[in-house]
Amino acid sequence: MPGFIDGMMPIQLLAELLLIIAIFILGAMILDKKMGIHIPMLLQAVFVFIAGWWYYKYRIDPPLPFSVRAIYQVMISVGIFMWVSSAEKGWIEFKRPIIAVLDAKTPLTWWVRAVLLVVLPLSASGMTYINLAPSLSEPIELRTVHPAPPAAVKVHGKKFPLQTSESPFRIDENGEYSDHVQDAHVMDNPFDPDGIDYMQNVKEGGEIFFQNCHFCHGDNLNGRGLYAFAFNPIPANFTDPGTLAQLQETFVFWRVAKGGPGLPREGFPWASAMPPWEQHLTTEEIWKVILFEYWHTKYPPRTWGEE
Amino acid sequence: MDRVGGSKKIMMDHVWWRSRRSILFGFALGLCTLLVFAPMWVGDAPGQEEEEEEAGEELAAGFVEGELPAEPTPEQLENGKTVYFSKCVWCHGVEGAGDGPGADRLWPRPRDFRQGTFKVRHTFSGELPLLEDLFQTVTHGLPGSAMPPWTGILDEQKRRDVVSFVAFELMQDRSFTDEEFEYVTELELNTLEPIPTSPESIEQGKAVFDRLRCAECHGQEGRGDGNPFNLKDDWGFPIQPADFHKCWNFRGSRQDAYNVKNIFRTFSTGLNGTPMPSFAENTTIEDRWHLSNFVNALCERDAEGNPLRIDPLTDKPVIKFVIGSGFVEEGGKIPDNPQDPLWEARERSFIGMAGQIIHKTRNFVNKIDNIFVRSLYDNDDIAFLFEWNDRSQSMTPDDVEAFMPEEIPPSGDPAASKVRAYGPFNDSIAIQFPTDWASLTPPEKPRFIHGDEKNSVDLWKWESDGTIKAYTGTGALQPLAERESSSAGLQVVLSEFKDGKWTVMMKRALTPENEGDVQFVPGEYIPTVFFAWEGHNGDYGLKMAISTFYNTILEPPTPASVWWTSIFIGIGIVILEVWVLTGRRNRAQGKVV
Repeated sequence: MPGFIDGMMPIQLLAELLLIIAIFILGAMILDKKMGIHIPMLLQAVFVFIAGWWYYKYRIDPPLPFSVRAIYQVMISVGIFMWVSSAEKGWIEFKRPIIAVLDAKTPLTWWVRAVLLVVLPLSASGMTYINLAPSLSEPIELRTVHPAPPAAVKVHGKKFPLQTSESPFRIDENGEYSDHVQDAHVMDNPFDPDGIDYMQNVKEGGEIFFQNCHFCHGDNLNGRGLYAFAFNPIPANFTDPGTLAQLQETFVFWRVAKGGPGLPREGFPWASAMPPWEQHLTTEEIWKVILFEYWHTKYPPRTWGEE
Repeated sequence: MDRVGGSKKIMMDHVWWRSRRSILFGFALGLCTLLVFAPMWVGDAPGQEEEEEEAGEELAAGFVEGELPAEPTPEQLENGKTVYFSKCVWCHGVEGAGDGPGADRLWPRPRDFRQGTFKVRHTFSGELPLLEDLFQTVTHGLPGSAMPPWTGILDEQKRRDVVSFVAFELMQDRSFTDEEFEYVTELELNTLEPIPTSPESIEQGKAVFDRLRCAECHGQEGRGDGNPFNLKDDWGFPIQPADFHKCWNFRGSRQDAYNVKNIFRTFSTGLNGTPMPSFAENTTIEDRWHLSNFVNALCERDAEGNPLRIDPLTDKPVIKFVIGSGFVEEGGKIPDNPQDPLWEARERSFIGMAGQIIHKTRNFVNKIDNIFVRSLYDNDDIAFLFEWNDRSQSMTPDDVEAFMPEEIPPSGDPAASKVRAYGPFNDSIAIQFPTDWASLTPPEKPRFIHGDEKNSVDLWKWESDGTIKAYTGTGALQPLAERESSSAGLQVVLSEFKDGKWTVMMKRALTPENEGDVQFVPGEYIPTVFFAWEGHNGDYGLKMAISTFYNTILEPPTPASVWWTSIFIGIGIVILEVWVLTGRRNRAQGKVV
């Protein structure tokens, strides 16, 4: 089966589903009208039901959880009933085999009914047992990924109010502080000796990142570093628009400086493997590594001022 | 100077070999002929020596003539350079010398591109790689190292461009355009059909493994424990043989860990720049498939013998964060022998381990990247069975103070390999629980590294000198405090080091009465963390491997209510059936109820 093109998955899924539905309708029509083979309504409905289940279970990767697929399946069932009952003729045709089995007027339907009468209660009992028997699934623990930050954070003896502090290295060519300083420099070579001060600081931040952070956050800052597999919660993915791009630079400064142990209770401070970096880095180094992360991911930090 | 010498020598041997061959023979014989005659060339009979030398000029079985790649356009090189200086330079360095800012804290170290020496290739030993090989390395990464897969991050064109930049700009000692000295002989892996695996094939593979004395480096059981500390790569950096039991860490696994073709390729082409040679000239193609089946069979499998499921996001086996402890039937005792059917029936939990780089001393070069855990309990005791691969048995010598460095040097530093060679510390394993988990409101826990001031932990640590001790932990930066009366309650049922693997079983009463002892109650989730130390890696104190939180649960026997509920549901359905059918019959007979 072909893979999904990056960033195109929703469109691709929709297109695929439309194509499958078109093939199904056309196929049924050709079989019926041109070749004279009529597939019973009940069989068609069962086919759509199973095909839907199969598609959502095996086509989508990473896989959807069972609860989500169950909701989809209910919607598919509703759709199927609307479809079979939309015309009187179809509805009668759909019901006919079910009623035939219930009434059991021929030997075949009698046998089908007999088998169903035995199998249904047995499978219901079995499924109840499987669901009730003690299982070893993980306990569900819901963690707040971006908990509320404190008003100020004290690092290396200096107090930084989170609302008003600024990165000392986010300085453009004119010597002005700029939230968008990286925009003109995302393609620059940080190792170019003639680069502006900003790029020099990005380089130094990158050096710190690749000596300390990439083990978990990954060489592309996507949270898939060498050690990431061993940790739960998994390291943050900075390329995801839900992390760096959603956060003020001072929030990131707080997170880096205080690490896992500095999280409030809802952030699960006991489980985070994020070191309190103030133990390893100077204040300047922390600002530089944050500068590098924003440069590398091409996101500007979030700001509350007017644009 | 010394670094470059090694690879230059290889290059000269290679040039001599190739140019003479072309003069003497041309390219008359095709692959089919090679296949037919291959077995004749590999015999050991002394009388054949002369013939052998001449035949050695032929292509090794499975190889065909290839072509040097076309030169890239200047735009491609320019685009590749942009990618390189954004993504690659941090480890591989400005000149591609494998000396970027991150390099000294990595093991294995990043590749030095300048010599054109690449490990994972389809080309013959000593030759330059195909550009496709480099492209696949960039695409799939090198599992077990810090090189990640770049697919999904860089599109295909960018990956090809950066490969061109590395191959045509950063390589210095050799050149893809040097048609006089460079040749490409390509392993035709796509046209070769693997021999399906079978007990016979694996046995024949074992014979090849023995004949070629693979165990000298890779160890009797293939855990890479044969020669763990004396091997060096072309640059003089320490290097360790592959552990066949962790195929997901094979650098050339191409994110397809259990595929024998990867093993066949590495065995046929060798790994340039490492002590791993090519075995293409003294094996037949059949030999190589058998050997590949044998090596693949060594890779870890579940209790049913199926390959472990590999997580495509991490390229490691899928981790389940729950460790079930099985109940030994009423009145029974936990068996002491790990080969007992009760132990064998338990599925091993794969525990991912990372280097502890959070607090000093930081373990950037982690050597224990997973352990396996099983557990059983009876009416009185609970036992944990640990298994993990370690290339050496390490013990702290009595005069440890004499050569203990003040700080462990980073990898790549020559002193680092010295520390490892001395092996000054005990191999160890530890398991940790919150002392008073029952009083904590989930999800709250003590911090995963040795707890915190508010919530302490009970930590059991076994060391390779045979001791086992119980400690109370109140924070990563606080020393662990031993509880001697609790230590007496811990029992080492078994500790064995064999062929690169530790097996340790520890046992304790479920509910002892000493202060600070964790209490086990069936059916409850008990947060659990693991720690491991590789003595030859200089692991000591906080320089260790750590896991994240797991949950131990003593599997309770199925309660009777589950049985009753299931039966009631079944009866309910029967009643429903009778109701529907009666209603149907009444309607057919025209009755109104």
